[in-house]
Amino acid sequence: MIISQKTMELDVVRKVEALSDTSVRRCFQCGKCSAGCPMATFMDHPPNRVVRLLQLGQWRRILAGRSIWYCASCETCSTRCPNKVHLASIMDALRKLSWDLDGPSKESYVQLANKVFLDNIRTYGRQYEMRLAAVFNVKSGQFLKDMMLGPKLLAKGKLKMFHSKNRNMAEIEKIFSRIEEMRKKGEAL
Amino acid sequence: MSDLKYAYYPGCSLHASAGEYDLSTRELFKALNIGLTEVPDWFCCGATPAHNVDELLSLSLCAKNLELAEQVEGDLAVACAACFSRLKFTQHTLDENAAKRKQVEKAIDAPVRLDGAVKHLLEILAKDFGLDHLKDKITKPLAGLKVACYYGCLLTRPPEVPNLDCVEAPTIMERVVEAAGAETVVWTHRMECCGANFTLSRPGVVIQLSNAILDSAKAAGADCIMVGCPLCHGNLDIRQKEIEGVYSTEYGLPVFYITQLVGLACGLSADKLGLDALIVNPMPLLKEKQLL
Ligand code: SF4
Ligand code: SF4
Repeated sequence: MIISQKTMELDVVRKVEALSDTSVRRCFQCGKCSAGCPMATFMDHPPNRVVRLLQLGQWRRILAGRSIWYCASCETCSTRCPNKVHLASIMDALRKLSWDLDGPSKESYVQLANKVFLDNIRTYGRQYEMRLAAVFNVKSGQFLKDMMLGPKLLAKGKLKMFHSKNRNMAEIEKIFSRIEEMRKKGEAL
Repeated sequence: MSDLKYAYYPGCSLHASAGEYDLSTRELFKALNIGLTEVPDWFCCGATPAHNVDELLSLSLCAKNLELAEQVEGDLAVACAACFSRLKFTQHTLDENAAKRKQVEKAIDAPVRLDGAVKHLLEILAKDFGLDHLKDKITKPLAGLKVACYYGCLLTRPPEVPNLDCVEAPTIMERVVEAAGAETVVWTHRMECCGANFTLSRPGVVIQLSNAILDSAKAAGADCIMVGCPLCHGNLDIRQKEIEGVYSTEYGLPVFYITQLVGLACGLSADKLGLDALIVNPMPLLKEKQLL
């Protein structure tokens, strides 16, 4: 893809800036974020390049790659940036953008794990690791993944088979649905 | 007698895979005479997945939990580093950003409450209770035990949020465990990421990053590792055997929660600290050092 006026889409970049409450224009490409990033070796675009691509309106190139799905949200980049670019929040905003568009991410396992996790909150109010792992493994087709860990954890009482009732369930459902409502009306990003 | 009282937010892991962290926290606080009352019907803070894809949801879940916590007297005591980070991040963000605050108030249909302090257990032990006071309570000092204190990511980062200690060179964990009589080692990976919640979706990444942490602790001469986060614990303890297999090496490093080591030094018995729930068996080490 050639960088030109045509491929420069700044509207979306402004949305990323609003969501993350940070300005990509403050970045002067020192590379400190990437130097400290534990996941940079797994990424196609290291953190500093993610910011550079945003400055140039090339958000599609970021979403087509895998960097955002390899970021572990460790906050090292945000901590060390001399210009207070909150890169960890930019990563969050980009993931939300990708989530809303439902692709073109190639890294659907992470999205799947996130989805199962959020479904769990909506249904049970809390996480039950057993269910989280079971549903994830079935949905991702990796039935045997981590099978070796299961029995050991059960024996140690580390996996709960049953969940306790939470009296705030109705309230949790309302939070999810109010947010959906606000988005429909365009009151929230 | 201590007149400290806290509302307690254990978080999901402490009710499941990190039951020993919950148990040892309750027992230690009882031994120190610090009041701890669980927030009734608290729910999941959303952890990493929620803010990963939906910040508004993450902020709203945390704000609602902060509201629930107001029912119980005292500052909010949080054990899990990830819950701690999300709750503090929510307070910080909603304090700074009026637009987001308005959206969250709409989502939870209540005013956001930002006045209550949110504290990690470490802060309570080191600052509220106080190290001198803690030293007085030590009946079985952890003499000769070399501990690698592992901070991980979220106890200190990002700098404007947790406000627990220095963001690049914290010492709060070392100070607490040294007050309990242990020695601490100087090592390289105490603030590197363990791979956190990739444990489900990308175990390969976790194995690589956690291996580097175990390797560094071992090289520094540590007998064991101490953590304040159930996710770090899962990656370093539960996955340790698997990591040893992949890298054809042997670490044999027990991974303790802060409350387990401090509890031990306060004379609490192994069953009250849930030591049998640890996957890497700590008993041989504790026997060798005559700490049981
Ligand atoms: S550390 Fe900050 S200024 Fe430096 S490259 Fe990264 S985002 Fe840009
Ligand atoms: S938050 Fe993400 S991008 Fe930033 S340093 Fe950590 S892993 Fe890298």
